[in-house]
Amino acid sequence: MQPFDYYKPKTFEEAFDYLTLPGKTVFPLAGATDFIPSYRDGVWQADAVCDIKALPGVRDLRETPEGLWVGACVLMSELARSPLVRAHWEVLAQGAEVVGSEQVRNRATIGGNMCTASPCADTPPPLYVLDAVVVLKSKAGERRVPVTEFFTFVRKTVVQKGELVTGVIIPKPPAGTVGEYHKLSRRQGCDLSLVSVAVLAAPRNGGYDWRIALGAVAPTPIRVPDAEAILSKGWDAASIDEAAKAAEKTAKPITDVRSSDVYRYEMVRNLTRRAVRSVAEKLKK
Amino acid sequence: MAGRVETTEPVGKSVPRIDAYEKVTGAVQYVDDIPFGPNLLYGKFVRSPYAHALIKSINTSKALALPGVKAVVTGKEVPNRIGLYLKDRFVFPLDRVRWIGEPVAGVIAINEEIAEEAAKLVEVEYEELPAVFDPREAIKPDAPLIHPDLGKYEVVPFIFPEPGTNISEHFKLRKGDVDSAWSQCAAIVEDDFFVPQIQHVPIEPHCAVARWDKDGTVTLWAASQSPFAQRDLIAQSLDIPHGNLRVIAPYVGGGFGGKAGVSIEANVVAMSRAVPGYPVKVRMTREEEFLGTNVRQSCAAHYKIGCDKDGNLLAYECQYYFGGGAYNEYGVNITRAAGYSCTGPYDVPNVKGDSYCVYTNTQVGSAMRGFGMPEIHWGLEQMMDRLAEKIGMDKAEFRRRNCVRPGDKILTGMTMPQVDLVKCIDLVTKAINWDKKDKPSAPHKKRGKGIAIMWKAPAMPPNPGSQAIVRFNEDASVNVFVGGQEIGQGTFTVMAQMAAETLGVPYEWVRITANPVDTKYSPYEWQTVASRLTWSMGNAVKAAAEDARQKILQVVAEYWKEDPKDLDIKNGVVVSYKSEREQSLKKMVVYGLPNENYEGWQGGPIVGSGKFMPTYVTGLDPETGQGTRAVVHYTVGAQAVDIEVDTETGQIEVLKIASAYDVGKAINPDLVMTQIEGGAVHGLSAAYEGFYFDERGKLINNSLVDYKIATVMDIPKEIHGDIVETPLEDGPWGARGVGEHVMVQTAPAIANAISDAVGVRINTLPLSAEKVYLAMMKK
Amino acid sequence: MLHEITLTVNGEQRTVAVKSHHTLLKVLREQLGITSPKIGCENGECGACTVLMNGKAVNSCLVLAVEADGAVIETVENLSKEGELHPLQQAFVEHNAIQCGFCTPGMIMSAKGLLDRNPHPTVDEVKEALAGNLCRCTGYIRIVDAVMDVAKKGDA
Repeated sequence: MQPFDYYKPKTFEEAFDYLTLPGKTVFPLAGATDFIPSYRDGVWQADAVCDIKALPGVRDLRETPEGLWVGACVLMSELARSPLVRAHWEVLAQGAEVVGSEQVRNRATIGGNMCTASPCADTPPPLYVLDAVVVLKSKAGERRVPVTEFFTFVRKTVVQKGELVTGVIIPKPPAGTVGEYHKLSRRQGCDLSLVSVAVLAAPRNGGYDWRIALGAVAPTPIRVPDAEAILSKGWDAASIDEAAKAAEKTAKPITDVRSSDVYRYEMVRNLTRRAVRSVAEKLKK
Repeated sequence: MAGRVETTEPVGKSVPRIDAYEKVTGAVQYVDDIPFGPNLLYGKFVRSPYAHALIKSINTSKALALPGVKAVVTGKEVPNRIGLYLKDRFVFPLDRVRWIGEPVAGVIAINEEIAEEAAKLVEVEYEELPAVFDPREAIKPDAPLIHPDLGKYEVVPFIFPEPGTNISEHFKLRKGDVDSAWSQCAAIVEDDFFVPQIQHVPIEPHCAVARWDKDGTVTLWAASQSPFAQRDLIAQSLDIPHGNLRVIAPYVGGGFGGKAGVSIEANVVAMSRAVPGYPVKVRMTREEEFLGTNVRQSCAAHYKIGCDKDGNLLAYECQYYFGGGAYNEYGVNITRAAGYSCTGPYDVPNVKGDSYCVYTNTQVGSAMRGFGMPEIHWGLEQMMDRLAEKIGMDKAEFRRRNCVRPGDKILTGMTMPQVDLVKCIDLVTKAINWDKKDKPSAPHKKRGKGIAIMWKAPAMPPNPGSQAIVRFNEDASVNVFVGGQEIGQGTFTVMAQMAAETLGVPYEWVRITANPVDTKYSPYEWQTVASRLTWSMGNAVKAAAEDARQKILQVVAEYWKEDPKDLDIKNGVVVSYKSEREQSLKKMVVYGLPNENYEGWQGGPIVGSGKFMPTYVTGLDPETGQGTRAVVHYTVGAQAVDIEVDTETGQIEVLKIASAYDVGKAINPDLVMTQIEGGAVHGLSAAYEGFYFDERGKLINNSLVDYKIATVMDIPKEIHGDIVETPLEDGPWGARGVGEHVMVQTAPAIANAISDAVGVRINTLPLSAEKVYLAMMKK
Repeated sequence: MLHEITLTVNGEQRTVAVKSHHTLLKVLREQLGITSPKIGCENGECGACTVLMNGKAVNSCLVLAVEADGAVIETVENLSKEGELHPLQQAFVEHNAIQCGFCTPGMIMSAKGLLDRNPHPTVDEVKEALAGNLCRCTGYIRIVDAVMDVAKKGDA
């Protein structure tokens, strides 16, 4: 691995100075689980890294009046095992617990999983159905972006040079909300998603507000409004089939070394149906 | 030794592994763990970006100008050929590159970063040539010729290259008359199968360190299954007297054939010549491990097989086209092995087999666990299933009826030695409840069972030798010197058991002195390959121990004035069955014994030596493959699997794998079981593995991210193993090898179960959920 | 760029000057002489370099050494005390859960990381915790058995 410099600021002001060093590419570093392999392979270049783990608030995981605050450097293993997250934001815990291996989950952060912006990342689809809001900070101040507007393409986000994701805010779903994250991969252990589906049903006006997000089948995660609309009217077997077909229509998968688009289309439908069914099962209980 | 358990007569007992303690405590040193001090230099290869190209020029000046760079070595500095069976490669290519990733030059620098940077600065001018990747394309007359000099290469007498083509070996098997047999067949099946290149994926990547001293002595430290073969090949190639080249090989972190023969080691030795006195280390990254080291060959196979109405096999015709990669120096013999075993473990009266090793512009195909057998059993074991289906016979019964039995004149004309394959079939069918159709666990799942059988002979030259030395210490503990390698299979444990049993001392008294194997001090061993150590090295150890035992008995007999024939060694004590006298081995095995009234002494430090080399393998007729004895012996086995297919995803869950192998004699039954279990998972994993290339021949899945091997989450719920013990005539205690066999037929057993579950046949590996799902859709 | 860092490795405080781009794995092996964490992929895929960092299993190839400033690091060298094997090591020996041994140190450290936070895991929890440690030899079955054995005895 070729040399680079390392900075570890304790304040945001200091961090922004490092990130905007003239003539230098300074890479914000959280868990390093994506950075080290990508840098080593030459996919990412950097003159230096700016370790953001000592910045205020970025390691906090707590409930606030606005909802759950997940600091950018909160670990996947913390999300997966937090009783608070399990109690109210279960679908996020489900996504976090299938990221990589235990060792990776003990270093990988939600901020990193977001900013790497891999289409097959496992926390974005849950964040999509939870209507999370991403909080960004720069010298110019703070801004908030709905997670559904955060990703712009494969490995591209709205984050500007000199700007940091400090965390996400996730509104607290009403009591009785049920969610499921399903992932299909080649191997059962530590593999990337070929297709993933997050489904959430939140009680509303005596019925349910359904939300569905897909991962790994488009340049960014996508919501499936057509399917959501079908289910929000009713979730009998026929509607579930309809919704699954709507998901298949919405997906825009590619063919790569992991899978063909043909198979991915099929799996979007079958996996959506399966995930919706298991949410429906839970609702019946 | 005080206070510890002592195991007497350990052969046949599951004693603990001799290497376990040092492995669980982290004390074991693999090559990369050996400290070399601050003088250590690091090497990095410059690799070809073209699958097939002429090298027009190499300019190293920019690389050499980088501070910290010590030297750059290219083919010009070492214009020597190297190879095990066919000397078809240069250490670094002289004029032409033949796969994307081939090392073109070696850069040496004071640290890894500089070496890596300097490698990018070496300027190589290429003239790109048309390339060919698939053996079926490469045999066509108009295919690009990858080795125009094939006719000039030095080759062993039992390999037959076809100069002017890409065929580096053509093995012909002709028995009976296939053409006239077809008309007598009640059922015939005919189809094509394909197996892609796969990699061994040892968790320890290749690593080698070499130091070329100013006095002309050369030392190579290597992660190696083949220290002696490496010494021989590298010494020949680089004109080093054998006695001047010392290969030191500590424990290997996984071999599976990938560390057999020579892959990076000759290059590292050649590089070290440029920096006399400095050790140079080259360690493959995981990506380089995929891109640049040896792999399993691909294989395109065509089968036509027929049987009569009662299910008796009548005719078997096959063509195997092995994609041997850029160099076939080792791979030619895989093709030969596939040729002389081409029918699998079946007795067929009429056989016409052609097995071709074909040059392709891909990674070098070489030894891998199973050595040609997984590649051919993939298709043939599915074809046997289909033939059984066609005549309406139970698939296990079909195999019982047709499988080889001792005394059969098998396809090469050799008489089949003792094995009990029928018993293996019986055991696995029983273990898996073959006759019972079990219910799936969910409505969207389907359950199926499959069976596959196998055979494999150690594939090697006719005369690979083993040597062993047994030496006693003052306290009667024993050092057993061997040159075979502990690659995880447990060979050191088994050798200690054999030595202890022969000597009549407890197992715990024995130390294996072979870590590292050091060609300067260790007894000779051809290579740790072919599942040959338990048998061959075991025979040498047994002979050495017997030699030492006789020397001890001689001394004591003279001391007691008795006949050595009346004496024995039991639990470390010499006993006389005649006089009932006893003499402890302690001290006397070094100091000897005094004569009466101390009037002189007799005996002295006890050392025994032994060797083994098979002397009975004969050549085969080049036109028919017929001969008296093609191989030393065969190990046979059966596997049955119980699986569930998820019809919504195509995912397969293997619920159970049942295996049975005839090992002759399990010297350590639990270690045999660890091979059976590990092999079953390796076989299952390998069924899902395969290289993917882009249209230029560049490997796409060159990392563990996209070349996935089985994790602990992917293993079967249950692995059952049975050991059959039909003694091998010349095996120690009747033992024969089993290390490779355990993974040979797992993939076809699963494929047969898929067919049973959902009625689709997969002819092309790798398996994938996608492939199964799409096949179900088409149905 | 050089950084002086202080970390506790296997119970001993060590101060070393490390380069920014050197991983914890490299520093453990080359500067601190601790070679049980192995270089298997340097990509976080194989787990051969697993160590405990502040009690949690991590791939030391995916941690910059400088990030480990102030951390407590434990490797398999620290497990056996006064010649007595740790129960996990003992179980690996008894179950023949070792073949080539290259994955063993990392495998044992992952298992220890699990048992330290969850002394009585289920088989599925053991598998999940070990899924990031590749083994090509054993087929994993005995490794799971060994860890479950210790978990049942509850003396880890």
